[in-house]
Amino acid sequence: MKKLRVLLVDDEIVIREGLKKLFDWAAHDCEVVGEAADGMEALMQIDTLLPDVVIMDINIPIMNGLKVVQMSKMKHPDMAFVIVSGYDDFSYCREALRLQITDYILKPVNYDEFGVCIDNLKISIFENKKMEQTGEEGEQTIVGIVRYMQEHLKEEISLNVLADEFHLSAQYISQLFKNEIGVNFLAYLTNIRMEQAKKLLLSSDDTVAEIAEKSGYADYRVFTKAFKKSEGVTPSQYRRNFQEM
Amino acid sequence: MIRMEIALILVIAFIAYIYFGAERKQSLLHRTFSVLLIALIVNLVFDAATVYTVNHLDTVPQMMNAMLHRLFIGSMVFVVYLFYQYIAILIEEETGKARSLDLAARVFLVVAELGVAFFEITYIQTPDGNYSAGPYCAVSYASVVFYLFLCAGLLLSNWKELHPKKRFTIGIGMAIEFIVCVLQGFNPTWLISGMGLTLMTLAYYLTLENPDILRAELTEQKMSMLYLKSQVNPHFLYNTLDAIRIQAQLDGDKKVADLIMQLVEFFRASVKVNEPVITLDEELEMIMAYLELMCYRYPKLYVSYDIDEKLLEYPVPNFILQPIVENSLLHGLKNNGYQGEIRISVHKNGQGIEICVKDSGTGFEDGKKAEIDEMLLHYDHKTKLEGNSIGVLNVQKRIKLLCGKSYGLSYTENEEGGLTAHLLLGECS
Repeated sequence: MKKLRVLLVDDEIVIREGLKKLFDWAAHDCEVVGEAADGMEALMQIDTLLPDVVIMDINIPIMNGLKVVQMSKMKHPDMAFVIVSGYDDFSYCREALRLQITDYILKPVNYDEFGVCIDNLKISIFENKKMEQTGEEGEQTIVGIVRYMQEHLKEEISLNVLADEFHLSAQYISQLFKNEIGVNFLAYLTNIRMEQAKKLLLSSDDTVAEIAEKSGYADYRVFTKAFKKSEGVTPSQYRRNFQEM
Repeated sequence: MIRMEIALILVIAFIAYIYFGAERKQSLLHRTFSVLLIALIVNLVFDAATVYTVNHLDTVPQMMNAMLHRLFIGSMVFVVYLFYQYIAILIEEETGKARSLDLAARVFLVVAELGVAFFEITYIQTPDGNYSAGPYCAVSYASVVFYLFLCAGLLLSNWKELHPKKRFTIGIGMAIEFIVCVLQGFNPTWLISGMGLTLMTLAYYLTLENPDILRAELTEQKMSMLYLKSQVNPHFLYNTLDAIRIQAQLDGDKKVADLIMQLVEFFRASVKVNEPVITLDEELEMIMAYLELMCYRYPKLYVSYDIDEKLLEYPVPNFILQPIVENSLLHGLKNNGYQGEIRISVHKNGQGIEICVKDSGTGFEDGKKAEIDEMLLHYDHKTKLEGNSIGVLNVQKRIKLLCGKSYGLSYTENEEGGLTAHLLLGECS
């Protein structure tokens, strides 16, 4: 797993400084390779630095962040974009969804929780890449494991269950997650459960309790809490927000 | 003839009664209209008096007759001047251009009033009725012509910038005055000047000065103030606070950074005022941020929660906890030097849920409990409220409105001291 190269875009220097210095990039296998203060500069930096991830404010001078994403996506379809914004407004979320922005977080950025965002990023990069397998042994194994997890989402999944299933040691599997995807096993599991829950919340009429179960949470309360932590809103609030759009 | 004058006085008195009873914005335009109404009533009274005296020349003393006539024409010139003034102010408000003809209008007014006071009066007797004439009388015609001329100038030079409705009103008023003046000039015995002035006033009253329009203006003014007060651009606030927070954390002050984070959380939750109903979870998040900040300010204040997490998604009226908690702090714990505990618990209760806010404060003073119970019971009565009870009553009103009449807020006294606020909530409709 190579280091993720990150470009920070915000017109306020203190916000860029904060993101750069207060979040432990190295511990998350990331490296800040550049900064930009406006839309034009961002476009240029994106083209010259070719970062893996762009973390960008919407409200920046000259050209707004969404426009930058739109233009860059055409040239660099694999680049991941995280929108950071003070706009507590779902119309921006809708636009962000349309542009297939990887993640959307609201200011003020909580640096302790920013790691989750980076984990999600790594997972989505991995999900995009897993189609084009190189045939490497570790990679093949992890693709098999995550497919198994995806298919058995409703069940109790743990490193031990996986170890039994694939005849490998739990420790090896744990290391595999770190090496191939860059996140730990639990973060990955939570991520796919949340993705499942979000998909069901928006596409089905199931009750939140049913969705909790289908996403692998036996206890509805635990689910609500986990969902809240990951998405910032409760499941039914999440559903309502998107229905209102 | 005198019957018409009396009818006109009644009409204008009625309008004045409504106008002075209506709440309105404090503006020069409305003040001018108020003065105009009073001046017109005075003018109509003299009008009625002279209609009587001019037809009883032999019984009414000469002196008295002359004085009443001079007062009548004098007040009439003043009313016509006020019409000019009103139109000039109206146009100034619309276009933003300063009034430039006021000096001419005022100089003319003084000259005209002097003329009315000292020029000679004659009385002409005809079988149709008597009327006054002479140079003094010419002053009134001259005034109407002069002020109409000024108004026409103002109207035409600002034609494009005026709202069509105001153009129409000014135009109609001037047309009425002109026609009445011409008719009066050719038929001196008709004595219809009062009618002309009354119709003109009515034109303004009906279009620009009626209570509905005054109220709309006032509401607009209040709303724009409210808007300014509440909407200090939230993005500016978040972003500035965030920059300060980051700087604090960069400087190694995690405590300050966390406090600012709480403040932003509270602020962000509390500006969602346009949503009448939110989830219990959102409401709790806001109150937690609020209490965290209060606990920081008053270190002897303790807060605990006992929340049934199954209910986190329950819909509740927006912003019902903060006023209640603030009340507990201000009335219960402040007198203890903010020393004590607040406990918030949420549980299922029958069809709905119950939120309790329990404090270990000083409790009710003697007789206060009955007063509060009474206030909460008759929440829809209009009573004089002081400060904090407005917030509490507002919570009660919104619960009753959104959840239904069987739900609501009540207070009980704890055995160990202090109070508990019980918020019974049902499914919001």
